[in-house]
Amino acid sequence: MMPSQTYSAIVWRQFRKSRLATVSLLFVVVLACVAIMAPLIANDRPLIMRDAQGFAAPALHLPARLRGVDMQLFTQNPPPGVWLIMPPIPYRPGSYDLGAVLVSPSRAHLLGTDGDGRDVASQIVWGTRISLSVGLIAVGLAVFIGLILGALAGFYGGWIDIVISRFVEVMLCFPTFFLILVVLAFVGPSIYNIMIVIGITSWTGTARLIRAEFLRLRSREFVLAATVSGARHLRIMRRHLLPNAIAPILVAAPFGVAGAILVEASLSFLGFGVPPTEPSWGSMLAQAQRFMDIAWWLTLAPGFAIFATIMAYNLIGETLRDAIDPNLKT
Amino acid sequence: MRRPSPRSVVLGVCALIALMISSCDFRVERSPDVLTTSLLGDPTILNPVLATDAYAQGILSYIYQGLLDLDIETMELVPMLAERWEASEDHLSYTYWIREGVRWQDGTPFTVDDVLFTFETILDPKVDAARLRNYFRNLKAIERVGDRGVRFVFTEPYFRAHIMCGRQPIIPKHIFGDGQEMNSHPANRTPVGTGPYRFAEWKTGQRVRLDRFEGYWGDKPAIRGIVYKIIPEQVTAFQLMRKGGLDADTVSAVQWARQTEDRAFNERFSKHRFFPPNYFFVAWNNRKPYFSDPLVRRAMTMLIDREAIVRELLFGQGHVIDSSFYLYGREVDRDITPLPYDPAQAVKLLDASGWIDHDGDGIRDKDGTPFRFVYLYPAESRLARSIGIFMREDLAKVGIDCEPRQIEWATLLKLLGERNYDATQLGYTGQLESDPFQVWHSSQAEAGSNLSGFADARADALIEEARRTFDRDRRIELYREFQRIVHAAQPVTFLFTSATLEVVDRRFTDVVDYPMGLDLMKWGIGPSAVLYEW
Amino acid sequence: MFSYVIKRLLLMIPTFFGIVVVTFAVVHLAPGDPAELKAQSAREAIASDQATQQIVAETRALYGLDKPLVVQFGLWMKRVVTLDFGTSFRDHRPVIDKIGDALPITLTLNVLTILIVYLVSIPLGVYTALKPRGVADRAATVGLLVLYSLPSFWVAMMLIVAFGGGGDWFNWFPITGFVSDHADLLPWYGWVANVAWHLVLPVACLTYGGFAFLSRFARTAMLEVIRQDYVRTARAKGLSEWCVVTKHALRNALIPMLTLMGTLLPALLGGSVIVEQIFAIPGMGRLGFESVLARDYPVIMAIATISAVLTLLSILITDILYAVVDPRVTFGKR
Repeated sequence: MMPSQTYSAIVWRQFRKSRLATVSLLFVVVLACVAIMAPLIANDRPLIMRDAQGFAAPALHLPARLRGVDMQLFTQNPPPGVWLIMPPIPYRPGSYDLGAVLVSPSRAHLLGTDGDGRDVASQIVWGTRISLSVGLIAVGLAVFIGLILGALAGFYGGWIDIVISRFVEVMLCFPTFFLILVVLAFVGPSIYNIMIVIGITSWTGTARLIRAEFLRLRSREFVLAATVSGARHLRIMRRHLLPNAIAPILVAAPFGVAGAILVEASLSFLGFGVPPTEPSWGSMLAQAQRFMDIAWWLTLAPGFAIFATIMAYNLIGETLRDAIDPNLKT
Repeated sequence: MRRPSPRSVVLGVCALIALMISSCDFRVERSPDVLTTSLLGDPTILNPVLATDAYAQGILSYIYQGLLDLDIETMELVPMLAERWEASEDHLSYTYWIREGVRWQDGTPFTVDDVLFTFETILDPKVDAARLRNYFRNLKAIERVGDRGVRFVFTEPYFRAHIMCGRQPIIPKHIFGDGQEMNSHPANRTPVGTGPYRFAEWKTGQRVRLDRFEGYWGDKPAIRGIVYKIIPEQVTAFQLMRKGGLDADTVSAVQWARQTEDRAFNERFSKHRFFPPNYFFVAWNNRKPYFSDPLVRRAMTMLIDREAIVRELLFGQGHVIDSSFYLYGREVDRDITPLPYDPAQAVKLLDASGWIDHDGDGIRDKDGTPFRFVYLYPAESRLARSIGIFMREDLAKVGIDCEPRQIEWATLLKLLGERNYDATQLGYTGQLESDPFQVWHSSQAEAGSNLSGFADARADALIEEARRTFDRDRRIELYREFQRIVHAAQPVTFLFTSATLEVVDRRFTDVVDYPMGLDLMKWGIGPSAVLYEW
Repeated sequence: MFSYVIKRLLLMIPTFFGIVVVTFAVVHLAPGDPAELKAQSAREAIASDQATQQIVAETRALYGLDKPLVVQFGLWMKRVVTLDFGTSFRDHRPVIDKIGDALPITLTLNVLTILIVYLVSIPLGVYTALKPRGVADRAATVGLLVLYSLPSFWVAMMLIVAFGGGGDWFNWFPITGFVSDHADLLPWYGWVANVAWHLVLPVACLTYGGFAFLSRFARTAMLEVIRQDYVRTARAKGLSEWCVVTKHALRNALIPMLTLMGTLLPALLGGSVIVEQIFAIPGMGRLGFESVLARDYPVIMAIATISAVLTLLSILITDILYAVVDPRVTFGKR
């Protein structure tokens, strides 16, 4: 091994060895792109169009001259002289057609339509936004809270540790999913509330990991040396302790994201999720229940989307864990 | 002794399990003369005075009885626990003479005291019967008349007084009058009535079981027992029925239209459809600036494609309505045609009302208020959800921002009670001849059931006069005028009345469709294959 | 050790108090009022008027909901100390009875689940640990991750379609409930078989996800142990590989696995809301969910309190067990 290699480079090399994990990482990146570019992939407005007044990109920005125009009619029968390119899925997740309820997958609707006549593919595409943002923000919040509380408890010990440890115990004792339900009943379901509730109920793992690492490291020579040389506590934590403790958090994070996505889907499935105007895979599945044996595509598409996403995150976490495990290095 | 190898232990256990499963000993036979059906949830409580949910009321209708009954064929009041009755000329007092020889299911004779006790209980403010008490606020006195008579005296004449007193299920004094607190009385879970079925068992979350009461005073039904299985998902209940675990059940429109078409199903089950009184509507809060103008409300109605909703979401199992009265009742004014789905006309109405996009942000506004509102719907209601999705799309096209928001039933009730909402969708079960007072009278706008806040002096006068009118034809005239006022004002958008769809195992005979539903009291039982419990 | 246990027990008091206060606050600050729910029937949606308002107030007084929160909390604590959780707002049954009905069902379901997960995962973990990074290890890892990533409600939906529809596919298993009606007429083994028959699908939904977690855990523990000197010594003695693995390595690797059981308790008690809901099993998860929907304060509070106490106890027992089993851990101050 080259001595100049940094720790992260070693981990990355280990990670790259797993083809599945690399594919998963790629999949997550693609998902993120789909989420960001959802309006360009599934939209009932043209990507690019040209009419008498010149070029426009209505999918990104609706020009004033098109306001109040029924897009469905406009794009299906464009007026003479108008030239347009539609996105690959020419439906918004909200646009419905009561003339096409429960249509099976076809050229017009790649993944069929649901019980309200809405395009399933379009909803899957826009649903990535909900799933990914819930996953990332909830875990971000959880890591943030866990990091601060765990660091305080591990670094200072004493009564601060006792108080925080009790608090962790309090949180651990709640049946988490039940607690989330109760809190959501209180604050009302919305995507932000779901993110926050998942975040504030799932930080205990991070806190415990950080606390343990800090406890282990704080009596090491390099920390003592820094303390003796008069460095401020915050600086010691940030510069000396955190970099050494961050690895287990990195491993836990992908699993956390997978878990949060699953919790969001479960909540939506139970009817505690996001509003119907925001397409979510979980609520798609909940709606699909009624049509299970007459419209298989309704169950299959969102179920597979949830599965594939969770699977990708879990594979990344799994591979990261192996990559940083010093015992398993070959 | 040699210890058995792990492999042989595993094999042994597998063999044992296989033996247990293959010996058919673990299946239980199901009696063919017991009817099994399902409920989506537990009844809250099995006491006809305290129960407020439809599940409990359905079960209790077989256990408890009122003084009178509604004949399911003719829809006329007929004797039940009362043999005969009499009303005073001024319509202020009603006297009932109770039947002789009726016994409670525990053998105690039924007396006038039970009737008196029932109504005293309802009027007792400590009893959890707020809703019922509301109906009897004008009840001045309940008197005993001789041994077998009981007289109700009201302060005001009211055409529904007779049916209210007569249809109220009577509860036994000797059980509930023992000094224990009514609200937590143990008999609330082990009811004793006078009806054809007696309570047998209630396992919370699993089932409620009723057995035929062999000492019933009237004609005994052929069905020996009724089992209500509690299954929270309608999809699961439907699958269970197809497996042969249920004999009769309500099915959803999609199941009716698309999942019960195959021959195997129809060989096993008969399908029944009827339209009991109910109506669904979108309530607009008329107190809000955007919904205070009848023009706007008419426009909203014209923006909801009710015909398509009934056709595609209810799979045709409903009728578009424009009135709160029973679809097949004589009260409905059939000269009124519901407003058509006509977005172009709606835009004209909106423009005329002064809601125009003044500031050019794509949203209509008036006096600085943008036309932006929240549509609340309960989490359980799938149709309300779909309507929210449609409104958001369609209203956006005409420059109105509608945000559908799912909300729990408990929270929705609270907000509606405070009148703190913009729009919502609700369904009411009505009566054959309902009294519009509670929902449409202006006195109910503050804290009553008049959610939309509809207030019209002429409509008020019509409602009040109808309450005092005992001639049905005259009432019908009054109600028709009332409907024309409501139609013009569109305080709510009436959506449809939906069909009740039932499926019954074919081993039951004489299953007759009545306009209001089925009556299993009259069913017979034919031959059938051996049935198993699932 | 005795003083350690006492100290831990004392430390549990503030934790317990914290749990109860948090639950009480969250539950009681939620909008939606059981008194109003009661007065307004679900059937005739809203049937309130001025008189009803008064009656709502009376109902509230009846339930003690009109008193300040602090007083309500005090009264509630006073009753809980005597193990009286009050009666449900929904059906006026004692809360303890309702939990008594639901808890055994959820416990059966979950104990069975944990048992199966352990029985499958430990051999799997050991097997994959013997040849780390081999073909079997990789295949097992990926296969288990696939299972771990399948949302249980999706699988439940599929199972119901597959095993539900009246002979359409496989009409083998029941899809609702815990046991058949009238199953008590069967001989005892018939009853047990009947319950087992009912639990096939729900347990299938609950177990498959755990395999990945636990077998990975077993694999890691095993890898840890198998590198130890005493295992090498055992091998050097010429013992058979089977003997080395089961007698010397596995027994030591099992220690962390068994202590892990203690921390599974919250999940065990909370029940699986979704699985119980889909398969119509009247366990703790469904009771909790329905209580949340109905704002049945006493039931929610009781579930939270009981599971908190049991979880605290199990954490304590886990810690003690760990110390008892592993002599390297000492009690007392660091």
